[in-house]
Amino acid sequence: MEIKDRLQESYIEHVLHHGEQPKTVYLFASENGITEEEFYTHFGSFESIDIRIWKGLMTDAVREVRSQEVWAQYSSREKALSLFYGFMELLKSKRSFITFSLRNAKSKIGLSNLFEGMKQEFELFSAEIIQEGLESGELTDRPFFASKYKDALWIQLGFIINFWLKDTSAGFDKTDEAIEKGVNVTYNLFERSPIDELFEYGKFLAKNSGIKMPF
Amino acid sequence: MIRKNDDEQKSIPTSKVERSTQFVKTGFKIGGNYVKHYSKRLFNSNISRDELNEDNAADIYSSLSKLKGSALKVAQMLSMDKNILPKAYVNQFSQSQYNAPPLSGPLIVQTFRKLHGKTPEKIFDKFNLKSSNAASIGQVHQAELDGRKLAVKIQYPGVGDSISSDLKLVKPFAFRLIGMSEKELDVYMKEVEERLLEETDYELEVRRSVEISKACAHLENIVFPVYYPELSSKRTITMDWIEGLHLKEYLETNPSQDEKNAIGQALWDFYNFQQHDLRAVHADPHPGNFIITHDGKLGIIDFGCIKELPDDFYYPFFSLTSEGFFNDKVKTLQAFRELEMIHEKDSPRDVDFYYDMYRQMIGLFAKPYSSNTFDFSGTEFFEQIYNYGEMIAKMPEFKQARGVKHFIYINRTNFGLYNILHELKATVRTDTYVPQVNCEL
Repeated sequence: MEIKDRLQESYIEHVLHHGEQPKTVYLFASENGITEEEFYTHFGSFESIDIRIWKGLMTDAVREVRSQEVWAQYSSREKALSLFYGFMELLKSKRSFITFSLRNAKSKIGLSNLFEGMKQEFELFSAEIIQEGLESGELTDRPFFASKYKDALWIQLGFIINFWLKDTSAGFDKTDEAIEKGVNVTYNLFERSPIDELFEYGKFLAKNSGIKMPF
Repeated sequence: MIRKNDDEQKSIPTSKVERSTQFVKTGFKIGGNYVKHYSKRLFNSNISRDELNEDNAADIYSSLSKLKGSALKVAQMLSMDKNILPKAYVNQFSQSQYNAPPLSGPLIVQTFRKLHGKTPEKIFDKFNLKSSNAASIGQVHQAELDGRKLAVKIQYPGVGDSISSDLKLVKPFAFRLIGMSEKELDVYMKEVEERLLEETDYELEVRRSVEISKACAHLENIVFPVYYPELSSKRTITMDWIEGLHLKEYLETNPSQDEKNAIGQALWDFYNFQQHDLRAVHADPHPGNFIITHDGKLGIIDFGCIKELPDDFYYPFFSLTSEGFFNDKVKTLQAFRELEMIHEKDSPRDVDFYYDMYRQMIGLFAKPYSSNTFDFSGTEFFEQIYNYGEMIAKMPEFKQARGVKHFIYINRTNFGLYNILHELKATVRTDTYVPQVNCEL
């Protein structure tokens, strides 16, 4: 196992057993049979291990859903749903660590820093499926807004993680419902809607009927 | 199976507030005044005005199907009584028996991973992620395992939770349709709620399906799918896929009278054997629950809704249908009292009035039992029922609902059965399984 992975696992173990981060980097390094200096060649701080873990979760989720046989048949919307389910399923398996990591990061480095690496992964993925959706006509290409679609998905993900943290239903069934409904709502906004029609009709009238638009 | 769902995704209103607005919208659209005095009391039928149009029905339908789950179930229930609801509504409601916005593929994968520990593609040799049709509180998928073609029913998540709140929302709407006060409606709504909640328990459904299909195995021309409890869970049911046509499609193939009679007879036997021998009946006779196989047999594919008939309902009610019972006024009155069709506080004049009216009504209901065979193709019988309903709808005495709660499902069942037989234009022998009440007399 790569040393980084080994340290990461050892770190998770420690947090799970003690409910806190190791007291010092020195202690943690020596427990793992390396020098403090060596630790810093891999990670700048304990929080950077957290960042790597979150990023890893997203990478694993993306890999997992892509490996499903049905993947190729999925529409852009279904791919998004699939990733959300897959990712949340991974979080569920590490719920104790996840809650600790979020609480810890909030007070120390802030959530946006914690999610830095994960966000990159997520955006790579969402940019790809959104592009696919735009090309297939599943999603509407609206100037300016289309480039923001991935942000909407990111916000949705944040919302769902938050929902899940408070979810007390058996098997986190409510989180599944939240994903199904939340992602669908977001995707519905990306699709062609009556507003688009209205806008185009307005443009048409402005150009062709000589009606002076009130705006 | 029936029409494929083309657009795989549609929005489902999330919160109770959103659901409410769906109903409010519909409430506005139907304008409150179209369907009048739709009376629940026994089977009656009162319609509304002629200006009902397709649009109204479409509004209600689209609103209900967006709500999915229990509301869809109510739509299905309402769609049963074709005599009662005007044609325009019926056509729209009938759609809800076949079409509902489906769950996303990824959610199905997720459900399987959670309940079975594996993705459907790992459990089955083949699994079609596109649902083949909606099953009221779930949807049906085609799968294959070891060369067997299977039907896998998957329940929408959170259905149980939303049933109670949905029914509360349905109340004002139902109240408008049925014309009852909310307080009266409560007893009936509770009964509906109980049945609906039972329907969300797929483990119970599998047990019952196995039991009832065993008990009914001797009936002719009926086939039941084999159920696979080991491939089922609290939200999934796996059973054999029954190849065949739904009623509507079957009728389009112009089957011969003999073939239709055979199907009709199978239906009659199935229902009456259950009512009179098992005392528990498959109380959901909507066409979507039946498949007519290519060799002309009746396939029964849904056991979600089972209504048990307690003795204190069965005996008084079916005694009424037995030959010559009405000659004994004392006994008849006694039965009406037991069924709460005549109340303690009714004045002697009221008693006489209701005695007369209910006698007529039960007489109509029991008509198929009165001879050895009954031809359901004639419209006359149905018109009589319809006219009777029209008549009592105008009577202030019937403004209040009467009758014990068991009437809801028993009437839905029998009336639904009559309707299907009528649609089949079948002539059936009605003396195969008769009410067993003589021992009590």
